[in-house]
Amino acid sequence: METLSARIAKVSVWLILILMLVIVTDVTLRRWFVIGSTKLQELEWHIHGALFLLCLGWAYTKNAHVRIELFSEKLGPCSAAAIELLGCCLFLLPYVGAILLFGYDYTAFSVEYNEASASATGLPYRWIIKSVILIGFALLGFAGIARLLEAIVFLFGPKPLAEKTSFMNRPQHTTGAS
Amino acid sequence: MEGFAEILPLLMFVILIPFLFSGFPVAFVLGGVGLGFWLLAVSLGLENPNSFFLVISRIYGGVISKLVLVAIPMFIFMGTMLERSGIARDLLNTLQLMTRRIPGGLALSVTIIGVILAATTGIIGASVVMMTLLALPVMLKKGYDIPLATGTIAASGTLGILLPPSIMLVVMADLLSTSAGGLFMAAIGPSLFLAMLYMGYIFIRVWHNPALAPALDEPDAENQALSTSMILRSFVPPILLIAVVLGSIFGGYATPTEASGIGAFGALVLAFIKRKLTFPILQDVLEQSALTTTMLFGLFVGATAFSYVFALLGGHDLIIHLMELTGTGPWAILTLLMIVVFLLGFFFDWIEITLIILPVFAPVIAKLDFGTHLSDPSLTVSWFAILMAVNLQTSFLTPPFGFALFYMKGAAPKGVKLKDIYKGVVPFVLLQLLGLITLLLWPDLALWLPRTLTE
Repeated sequence: METLSARIAKVSVWLILILMLVIVTDVTLRRWFVIGSTKLQELEWHIHGALFLLCLGWAYTKNAHVRIELFSEKLGPCSAAAIELLGCCLFLLPYVGAILLFGYDYTAFSVEYNEASASATGLPYRWIIKSVILIGFALLGFAGIARLLEAIVFLFGPKPLAEKTSFMNRPQHTTGAS
Repeated sequence: MEGFAEILPLLMFVILIPFLFSGFPVAFVLGGVGLGFWLLAVSLGLENPNSFFLVISRIYGGVISKLVLVAIPMFIFMGTMLERSGIARDLLNTLQLMTRRIPGGLALSVTIIGVILAATTGIIGASVVMMTLLALPVMLKKGYDIPLATGTIAASGTLGILLPPSIMLVVMADLLSTSAGGLFMAAIGPSLFLAMLYMGYIFIRVWHNPALAPALDEPDAENQALSTSMILRSFVPPILLIAVVLGSIFGGYATPTEASGIGAFGALVLAFIKRKLTFPILQDVLEQSALTTTMLFGLFVGATAFSYVFALLGGHDLIIHLMELTGTGPWAILTLLMIVVFLLGFFFDWIEITLIILPVFAPVIAKLDFGTHLSDPSLTVSWFAILMAVNLQTSFLTPPFGFALFYMKGAAPKGVKLKDIYKGVVPFVLLQLLGLITLLLWPDLALWLPRTLTE
């Protein structure tokens, strides 16, 4: 499951490059050819949305989400695994679950009414980006379950298996907060 | 029962704080606590069991479909790409040669580079780490006072969060429903003022005690002669990029989103010209940018869920009510907010503070009236945002939990202790406060530029 979310994310990072090209095209058309395109502008935020939603789970696996490590950095790997276990059960999974549950209705609603952009010249098929919310959060859920299982193996599993989990070597932050 | 429902929004914060310190990702803690309180409200019959639906539509409408926020991944990519293309290294080498006869020249160069990097990348982690790696070893070798050297690098590196194009200002503009371009303009004055304060401080310290920062008069083996072409080669590309990006926004030719796309493209072209554009580097830059973007937006989505539940439970009315109850004027509210943000800065980063605090106080801020203190009352929100921004920039520097200090510790040579770094930032934190107070008393420091440009 972790590999799935990582694979999808590794492909999605190229969206940055595509986004850049779309903006450059949009600006060129708008300034020099005076063809403003609502479609291109809407495409820009569609791509941006897809970019971060599809990377949510991968960023969790890579430990890139901000944590307040003031106290937790002094804790041993066992406490860290316990916090991860509780955190996934108490926060991450219910949160993902609620978004998926209510998001499903939200997207279904959009499909049913064949919702399109409020602007006449905008993009059709609003349900596409809305279903990306579901996919993104589902991937985050997968990453959360993977991490939860890992924490369980580390805390209660047999020793040789436990040593293979990421809790043995405390993962470092992969990005700084901008 | 009645009373309990009323304090529910406050209870959200009381519950949130210990969980934030658990070390579990803030984005999910926010989402989880928001959801928990919503469930509590539903079970108490205070909320309709379908209203979480609104949270989703809020995430969609307030985060995903906002065109201005698209600028954020682009600016992040631009900064990360420029960092990899070795622009800072060239700049530092050149400036080091230019200022070698001035006492404290290296420290002054670091501040100048801080400003230039800030205007191109605006990524604190990158600027601080880069300057620590490049400049700190040289400064130590020349016998610089360690706290002076570390303080200069840490403070100059954090200018990026304030000086446009800054992702923090884009986020603030969105939360306060004001224009990002306007905030960019308003941030120029205060950030240059702060840079001048730093330089003035360094100059005076070194003037009094030259031993703190010996001049680099003896030529090193690596010190080549200073040539005009070297100056041009290192200064022109970043300055040109800054001019294009900021110029097009300020001149009204492009929205911040459009300018960010052009800037990202420019950074890519620059890397190509410098022959730094290989496939592995590009892949790595893309992945780093995506992770940073996701980190920020993951938190954005979580904070949206949290603050929307807060609003559903009547939190905004409660805050306004409490403010009225204390019967204090706008100045007291503003000062109180500033002190709270400053104190929060000791433990939290700008992202958490902005995304959690700003939505809560936004309705209050819009109502503040400072009478004739501001030449143009329509600029109250801009002024407030910049005050907040200067304050939050300080949060990077305040021990024990300043991000800039940790980045620096991670990249510094072994001999530099965390104690030296803490000691080094103290005078700079005081300078930050001086800047903040100046801006409080003299709003035109920020507002002069946007007012003049829009006229």
